[in-house]
Amino acid sequence: MTEIDLGLGVLDHQLVDSDRHRCGKVDDLELEGIQEGRPHVTEILAGPAWEHRGLVGGLAARIAKRLGRGGLVHVPWGEVERIRFGIRLRRPAHELGLDRGEERARRIVEKIPGASL
Amino acid sequence: MKTIFSIALGILAAIGGFVDIGDIVFNVAAGATFGFELLWAVLIGVGGIITYAEMCGRVATVSGAAVFDAVRERFGFSVGLVALVAGQIVNLMTLAAEVGGVALVLELLSGLSYRVLVLLAVVALAIVLWTMPFGWIERVFGYGGLCLLVFAVAAIKLNPDWGAVAHGFVPSTGSGNGWVYAYYVVGLIGAAMIPYEVYFYSSGAVEEQWGPEDLGLNRANAVIGYSLGGLLSFALMISAGALLLPEGISAELLGTVALVADVPLGQIGLLLALIGILFAVSGAAVDSAFSGAYNVAQFFGWEWGKYRHNAGAPRFTLAWVVMLVLSFAIVITGIDPIMVTELSVVASVVALPLTYVPILLVANDRAYMGEYANGRLGNLFGVLYLLVVLVIALAAIPLLLLSNMGQG
Repeated sequence: MTEIDLGLGVLDHQLVDSDRHRCGKVDDLELEGIQEGRPHVTEILAGPAWEHRGLVGGLAARIAKRLGRGGLVHVPWGEVERIRFGIRLRRPAHELGLDRGEERARRIVEKIPGASL
Repeated sequence: MKTIFSIALGILAAIGGFVDIGDIVFNVAAGATFGFELLWAVLIGVGGIITYAEMCGRVATVSGAAVFDAVRERFGFSVGLVALVAGQIVNLMTLAAEVGGVALVLELLSGLSYRVLVLLAVVALAIVLWTMPFGWIERVFGYGGLCLLVFAVAAIKLNPDWGAVAHGFVPSTGSGNGWVYAYYVVGLIGAAMIPYEVYFYSSGAVEEQWGPEDLGLNRANAVIGYSLGGLLSFALMISAGALLLPEGISAELLGTVALVADVPLGQIGLLLALIGILFAVSGAAVDSAFSGAYNVAQFFGWEWGKYRHNAGAPRFTLAWVVMLVLSFAIVITGIDPIMVTELSVVASVVALPLTYVPILLVANDRAYMGEYANGRLGNLFGVLYLLVVLVIALAAIPLLLLSNMGQG
């Protein structure tokens, strides 16, 4: 077991799926067992989970909600394969629900000729 | 293994890609106003861009994290978002200035109406970004920008007082209006260290899929490419100082810049100067449009990169399209591109610390960078330049007002 600093080494780091596609950031972490004195991470939150991320974060989260965009995605911690230069996940983004924003944009881009260039 | 030839090609592109509209405007105006007295400020700026380009290129090469990955990881969401917004405002202003510059050069070459040429410039840039692979984009504009070497020939042919030129590399308080002089110091350093260059450079290392074996290439590109690129800035200031200052010509028009090559070298000099400016400024427009897309994608964790193809990184693709559309909306109003250029350089100076602090922190993190973390020399220059950047960031806006935008 190596020791990692959750604040510096996980939070705000890049999520990379099993096909090596970038698929969001670690926007927040869900912890359990704090009361029992045995805190452990249960979930990664990806999407506008910025309420607890400072004043600007709270404002950005409110705006994101108002726009009704990019729903919050919960990724169980067990899906994490390794942590080194990004958080590598065990499955492709679409299986984890992490591809929705990208798919919406893809539908627009694919209408333009030469989208595969 | 990369051959010496391909390394040399990369360095050539870095030289030609160094100069943008901000460098052209500030170096020629400084030469026309203060002769060679401000060459030292350019030297400081070139040292700064070498230091930070090498550093962020190394971070990206080792870890795959480009500038706004580092900003997000080190500053967290809230402060990072402030840095992102500041960076994007600067990118957009820079892009607008470059697009306006492209249209101005096309106007000088064709005589068509400025507004039509703005539209033409934006459409042409969009087609280039949509269709060309990354390596081509980087090279084509870099090589075309090498035509600016005509200014080096012009500087020599104008036979300036070389003693005075050498003296210009020693920092001095300058003659004439002190506020204007100080404003030019900030502008020249800021133009050389304009932030999109490090955004683009670090993301480019990922685009080119550099690995640790390319760290030598990274160093060569940053050190050799940018110092030789800096020579073009020196040449602009020296030729403007030798030609415009004695005649009392101020340099508020881009045509005056081309004239600097026309007088000593004739028609061919003029043509090369215009083509060089066209490629250099178009290349900078491309870089700053992409930088806007890189920054937002890296901050929110979207897929990014030209190597992913247009539909493979769709939000990134839409982001640079939006950058181009917004810059068009700014420039088509008819706002003076030279003024936008000056404002964009001043704004970028103010935003610089927000970019440089996280890069310096990540480059020093041994847990992250391992054996490739900053050494003593890297840190000495890194901290030194961070101080320079902090000082000019604080001074920039007061000097803009006190010097009446350099008009005195």
